[in-house]
Amino acid sequence: MEMLYHQYKRRVFGMAHRIVGGSDAEEVAQEVFVRVFRGLAAFRGDSALSTWIYRLTVNAALSHLARRGRRNEVGDDGLTELPAPPVTERDSALAARIEKALGQLPAGYRAILVLHDIEGLSHEECAAILECRIGTCKSQLHKARARMRDLLGAHLADRNAERKDSGGTP
Amino acid sequence: MTTCDKIRPRLTTYLDGELADDHGSVVRGHLRECADCRGVARDEAALRDGLRLLPPVDPPGSLWAGVHARLAAAEVADARKPRWRRTAEHWARWARTARFTPTMPQLAAASVFAAAAIALLTVRAHRADEVATPAVALPDGPREQLLRPSPSTARDRPEAEALATVDVTADLLAEPARTTESYDRVVGELMTSAHASRAGWSAEFRAAFDARVAGLRGEIERAGRGRQAQRLQGSLIAYLQHAIIGDGMMLASGGSQ
Repeated sequence: MEMLYHQYKRRVFGMAHRIVGGSDAEEVAQEVFVRVFRGLAAFRGDSALSTWIYRLTVNAALSHLARRGRRNEVGDDGLTELPAPPVTERDSALAARIEKALGQLPAGYRAILVLHDIEGLSHEECAAILECRIGTCKSQLHKARARMRDLLGAHLADRNAERKDSGGTP
Repeated sequence: MTTCDKIRPRLTTYLDGELADDHGSVVRGHLRECADCRGVARDEAALRDGLRLLPPVDPPGSLWAGVHARLAAAEVADARKPRWRRTAEHWARWARTARFTPTMPQLAAASVFAAAAIALLTVRAHRADEVATPAVALPDGPREQLLRPSPSTARDRPEAEALATVDVTADLLAEPARTTESYDRVVGELMTSAHASRAGWSAEFRAAFDARVAGLRGEIERAGRGRQAQRLQGSLIAYLQHAIIGDGMMLASGGSQ
């Protein structure tokens, strides 16, 4: 049981943290692990174990948001609790803005961005977790990124200008 | 001529390297000519990279203790539930996790059977009412005449004929193979998790685990691909699950269900 917990704790907590925010992430992660351990004996392998655990995580996080009526905001407390990122100062500033913009997205868009872009899961895995078609998953990701671009606007343009000055590829 | 409106929905897929070569070439060609779309592509690439580089979030040390506390509270709540409620929840869980998922032809067949059963019961009830009226003698005559269907059963005949044309046999025949394949996949996954847990086991338990798993696998192989093999695979899955979560009582019983 403990090995399973250690194997999945970072991803489960990370997903919960970015979907519901820092203050409620621990509560959601605890709920997920309780459901995992109590449901493991009944798990029949209709999907991969990891897919099942991530689906429980996303569902628990979205249900938590629905219960609290906090669909569109994470709150600044979530940002202040983030550990200091081991990247440059400029990257750190962009990361903080991205985290904040992420918190302003509707919960569904936030979930697909967390699964695909932050956790690096494939469209097939995202579709299995969110229980939708792969095409729907791709379309949601496109819309979520478009909304993020709108929210970040000038900051992304600044970032591109910095990249161009330093000779990086766009 | 390709328009920006057609290209922009494909940019996400293109930047993620998931667009087929010929479509990718069309997007690249458009990006060379269109400064606006190039800007959108640059922004999206910067956003994607920014999201990928977000630092991981470490869970707090109290998380594990919280999980333990919740599990303990849930077990206490289970123990306080009345027996009838535990039984109802058990069957509700079984219904949710049952492997049988009816296909459309099976649902159609079930509906036709249900309709036929209701019609039959109605006819019988109607006949029972008729029989209950006194002094009605059965007429002499050929048996076929006595067994002639009533108008209502004759109306059901097209439904019965429709049922005969539904091909559920092939689907039902394929079900055992699907189930066995699914069991095989689960056993593979659980074995991977069990190997990850091995480091924390005692040498004695490791030896007992290996012996039990080898024994069950041998029995599965000897049983072939039938129902007995699936039952044994179920036992192996239960044993592996309890070995991973460290259920001592279950392991002591040898993993049998």
